[in-house]
Amino acid sequence: MNNMTDRLCGLFFVLFGLMLFFYLIPTQIETVDYGAIRPKTMPQILAVIIGVFGFILMVKPADGSNLQPMPWGRSSLIVAVLSGGLWLISLFGFIFMAPFLALVLMVIMGERRPLWLGLGVVGMPALIWFAVTILLERPLP
Amino acid sequence: MPELSIVLAGLADAFTLTNLFFVFIGVVLGQFVGAVPGIGPVMAMAIAIPFTFGLDALVAIGFLMGVNKGGLVGGAIPAILMNTPGTPDAAATALDGYPLAMQGKPFKATKMALFSSITGDTFSDLVLITVSAPLAVLALRMGPVEVMGLIILAFCVIAGLIGNSVSKGIIAAALGMLAATVGTDPQHATPRFYFGYFEIYDGLPLAAVAIGMLAISEILRRMGENAGVIKAGIAIRDTGNPADQRISWAEYWSCRYTMLRGTIIGTILGALPGIGSTAAAFMSYAGARQASSEPETYGKGSLHGIAASESANSAVMGANLIPLLTLGIPGSVGAALIISAFMIHGIQPGPLLFEKQGQLIYGLFGSMILANMLNLLVGQIGMRFWIKVVSAPETIIFPTALLLCFVGVSLASGGIFGIAIMLIFAVLGFVMNALGISVVIFIIAFFLGPRLEESLSQTLALLNGDVWALLNYPIALALVAMSAVTLVMIRRKSRT
Repeated sequence: MNNMTDRLCGLFFVLFGLMLFFYLIPTQIETVDYGAIRPKTMPQILAVIIGVFGFILMVKPADGSNLQPMPWGRSSLIVAVLSGGLWLISLFGFIFMAPFLALVLMVIMGERRPLWLGLGVVGMPALIWFAVTILLERPLP
Repeated sequence: MPELSIVLAGLADAFTLTNLFFVFIGVVLGQFVGAVPGIGPVMAMAIAIPFTFGLDALVAIGFLMGVNKGGLVGGAIPAILMNTPGTPDAAATALDGYPLAMQGKPFKATKMALFSSITGDTFSDLVLITVSAPLAVLALRMGPVEVMGLIILAFCVIAGLIGNSVSKGIIAAALGMLAATVGTDPQHATPRFYFGYFEIYDGLPLAAVAIGMLAISEILRRMGENAGVIKAGIAIRDTGNPADQRISWAEYWSCRYTMLRGTIIGTILGALPGIGSTAAAFMSYAGARQASSEPETYGKGSLHGIAASESANSAVMGANLIPLLTLGIPGSVGAALIISAFMIHGIQPGPLLFEKQGQLIYGLFGSMILANMLNLLVGQIGMRFWIKVVSAPETIIFPTALLLCFVGVSLASGGIFGIAIMLIFAVLGFVMNALGISVVIFIIAFFLGPRLEESLSQTLALLNGDVWALLNYPIALALVAMSAVTLVMIRRKSRT
């Protein structure tokens, strides 16, 4: 199973290297035909390295390499909350949305105690606002 | 050689109560701000400069030195206590600092970081004070060819950090360098991989990438692992043995060679413009692991690992001032800010600085030594405060840390777009960790990649197709030879 993870990982990098070399580099970098190193040179070298070592990983997976057990579900939920929070911050500003974002994150983590919720939802955003806007005189996002 | 009266007068200026007070405030501010992810000492200095307009020149520069030095110490705190380095140069500290803190020894870990940081900083300050002029001349001889040799050496030393899969290590480095190619290329200023987003024309912001991959991805993992059970951010286990919470002289002294190696690496890299403390910290860490008779203890809470990283990244700071004070050339963003502070106060840095402003310069040296002593004092108290803070429930620590990362990255790298990049790289870091692909190697390659490409293109232009012209660059050849020796040593070590 571990070997299969490495093999699939290697396959992904082979495909990524090919896509980089034949699609992304030609479409995303302008052609320049002079100079010691052209803008495409370094990305092309890197695409080859990624593809070649992806292939090596595919045919010769690492010994004792485990897919680390990661909390995919809950971490994905937190990423979704952060992304949504960032979108709302871009619309309404950090001052108004940070308390809601903190509240959702704390509730997801299982916090129900009013005192700690109050500290996290009101106290910490207020402290950040005071430190950044008042003391440092810098704008919040 | 300056007159003794000028040296003494400068030192006397440094040890006045007013100067002492402002250096102290600078150190406190620096340690506090350094502990906040994303802000770091450079931004703290940038913010602090306007507050120095009304101050005397020496007091103003002493204050900024305090901020910078305090920030270096503060940067290690979140790296050790939460495995969330606020700046890339503290990432190497997290490799051993966090495992040691997790063993219930956060005081031991933070104190080792503090002592080794101040050791490295003081050493480089002494080098600055005593032999800055000849070192600056040597640094000036480091042209693009030599810098390329140095970066190749850095990559070879850091190859020692590659784990059990060479393929994954090389892929991580290639991905890091690929991410660094986003933005305009160094030779033609042609945009690459910007996908219509003009915000990344100057490249992906280092703060967003580093904090996303190193700090946020770790917070995501730990928040994800929290299954509704509320526990402290860090557990301080009472082992009944006070030695677990302090650093004995024997432990400190046992790291002397590690710290010496770190400070030498930090001082040399610090004297060269543009290399920076991140490369120094990782080179020192990798070098210490290679040299160790117990390399398997690294990454599991080794004091030597912490000492290697912290002594090197702090040693960069003093050495950064070598080209600045002797030649007027800033070696880093922090040094450029110091130059601007000099100019605000009507002082022109350059070769004549020692001659025309000798008293001020020796006052500055005195302030730097003073800042180191205050750093030690404030750090002893500050570490206790931060460990208390991090002992609060995870339910408040992590959301607050996330909000701080949002604000820090927004300030450092241009608003909401920077935060979005941070989140993208957080997910990438999370996946890479799951697959066992080194995030640390990615970050180092991301940092060194543009420098390698720039020096490579300049080198090729200089050589103009004539490989034999390399013989005109003996320092570069020596560095390349050292790179080859390093690779052979790594290969031998990995076989034993």
